[in-house]
Amino acid sequence: MTYLLEARELRKQYADKLALRGLNLQIAPGEIFCLLGQNGAGKSTTINLFLGFIQPTSGAAFVNGLEVAANPLEIKRHLAYIPENVLLYPHLSGLENLALFSSLAGFKYPESELPNYLTDAGLPAEAVRRRVGAYSKGMRQKVGIAIAVAKHAKVLLLDEPTSGLDPKASNEFSELLHRLSGQGTAVLMATHDIFRAKEVGTRVGIMREGELVDVRPTAALNAQELEQLYLTYIH
Amino acid sequence: MIRSIAQKEFISTLRDRRFAVLSGLVLLLLLAATLVGRASFRTLQQERQLAQQTVNDKFRNQPARHPHRVAHYGSFAFRPKSGLSLLDGGVDSFTGSAVYLEAHQQNSINFSQAQQAGSLIRFGEMTVAFVLQLLVPLLIIFLCFGAFSEERATGTLKLLLSQGVTLRQVAWGKIRGYSQAVALVVAPALALAAALLFTGEEFAGGLDLVARLALFVAGYAVYFFVFVVGAVVVSAWQVSSRAALVTLLGLWILGGVILPKATANLGATLYPTITKAQMDAEVHDEAQHGIDGHDPHDQRAAALKADLFKKYGVDSEEKLPVSLAGVQMAAGEEYSAKVYQQHFAELNATYERQNRLSEWAGLLNPYQAIRPLSMSLAGSDFAHYVHFQQAAEAYRYGLVQRLNGLQASMGYGDKERRLDASTWQKLPVFSYQAPPLGWALPRLLLPVAALLLWAVGLCWLGLRLISNTSVS
Repeated sequence: MTYLLEARELRKQYADKLALRGLNLQIAPGEIFCLLGQNGAGKSTTINLFLGFIQPTSGAAFVNGLEVAANPLEIKRHLAYIPENVLLYPHLSGLENLALFSSLAGFKYPESELPNYLTDAGLPAEAVRRRVGAYSKGMRQKVGIAIAVAKHAKVLLLDEPTSGLDPKASNEFSELLHRLSGQGTAVLMATHDIFRAKEVGTRVGIMREGELVDVRPTAALNAQELEQLYLTYIH
Repeated sequence: MIRSIAQKEFISTLRDRRFAVLSGLVLLLLLAATLVGRASFRTLQQERQLAQQTVNDKFRNQPARHPHRVAHYGSFAFRPKSGLSLLDGGVDSFTGSAVYLEAHQQNSINFSQAQQAGSLIRFGEMTVAFVLQLLVPLLIIFLCFGAFSEERATGTLKLLLSQGVTLRQVAWGKIRGYSQAVALVVAPALALAAALLFTGEEFAGGLDLVARLALFVAGYAVYFFVFVVGAVVVSAWQVSSRAALVTLLGLWILGGVILPKATANLGATLYPTITKAQMDAEVHDEAQHGIDGHDPHDQRAAALKADLFKKYGVDSEEKLPVSLAGVQMAAGEEYSAKVYQQHFAELNATYERQNRLSEWAGLLNPYQAIRPLSMSLAGSDFAHYVHFQQAAEAYRYGLVQRLNGLQASMGYGDKERRLDASTWQKLPVFSYQAPPLGWALPRLLLPVAALLLWAVGLCWLGLRLISNTSVS
């Protein structure tokens, strides 16, 4: 089977800390894999390694079958990334931000088509042409989602995407992820939010001190059981 | 990709209120400096033209006089301002503008603006060049210090790179976008200056002026490019925007204040100049006692007299067909001019060595590369000043020797006679033609090479550094 995301014995050593200890992970098309863990557990390091922003000490990361370290630009055509806090460019409108990032990804949409991506992501129509500097965090996050969707990426890398979002926005976000996974998009989401992970994830993995200590299908657990499992590993 | 990022930077910059305020101020200063420079240029130019016309008229309208009296009456040479000096006054304010031309001695050029102005002139004048050389780089620093560091802090750099853009492309996009913003601030002032230069009736520079202005604009374009690239590189290299700003401001102070002062002091220490009093004393001594103490004046006069007697086969001054005094005056003038030329050449060579040291410092400091380039193109550097000095001396020497010739032709007893007033009408008056661009080009090679080295070196080294910079 071809995995859209794969880590083989992925290891990252910083000067004073071993951030990742031989991670092995495969994520298939349509799968939403949620990485749970405390700060410093290695979640963001994993995402940064898949993005090619940092180089592994050993092992390899693959996106759509391509090794990240050998194909740093090519792999970016296949993935979209949404950080914890999408700040964007405050002097540009949501529409201008979307147009910019889409053009950088190689997509030139007609001006009539672009606003639909923003409204589909949940941004109110009247906010589309307003400057992002005046947006709330939730609104910026929706622009970030629109940027990711407009890229038509096969892989979505999400680093705490629902952090600080209100429940309605979080819920809309979950619906969007379901929609994308239904279209075959593979999602890797780093999160602290156990309940969101249970709600959207197909599998959850628990990371502790750079190690993936447990992986479970979410269908096999209810929210309380997942929380209990998480607390067991953390303490 | 680069174009999209450049457009984003350009639009974001224009919409940034801080930039609007700062660039508005700089643009106002540039426009004000251009208009004030033009007004000052017109006033000085008109004053000097009028003064030159007045002294020329007075010289030609002298009554019947003995030619040596006319040689001592003398004249003045006023240095006309070059067209582009309205943009860069260079050393004009510190060098003189007029020289008294008389027999027997080569006077220095006097009446500089600095002599007549208060001590504030030492802090620099608000010229277009001052704004372009020091304030626009400051604007660039405030514009670009957060280019990378801010993107890194907000996480937008990761978002950009996740689209498949390289760090180099981001850097080039930023450089292009910021350059467009800087051009938007500087271009109106330079366009106004060009309009003033080419539409004012007093400006008659033709193609030479166009070429000088084109090189002037090109030189500053490279200079600003160096600052934009430098600021973007420092922003990528430093961990935070604050650190980048402090580093850039430190470099600005080092390049704009400390290094030029240090180089000037080093030049003055390595190549000291003698005082005017010392030089006058040495010249007087050598004119009287001969260069290096040989060939004193009285021996030269006696030898000349003996040669004349032999040439004309006479044994007394009364029998000579020429005035002995006139011939001796001409010989004395030739000798003293040689002494003066030698001393002025030594003095100018010392100043040239001092200036050269500062120009070499352009390899370390782009500010010290653009300054001589700008002054030279504006015709307001030391070399152009020396050109005028030499033209004035050539005229003085020619005039005095012509008057000495007139005296010699009067024969024995010339001191009791006068030449008709119409004689002075036939004498040439001083008219100065500034050198063309071709004359100045060899002097531009070092500063141009320094600026280009900065541009190419920073792009090569800086972008390599940026490629290896941390994303988060």
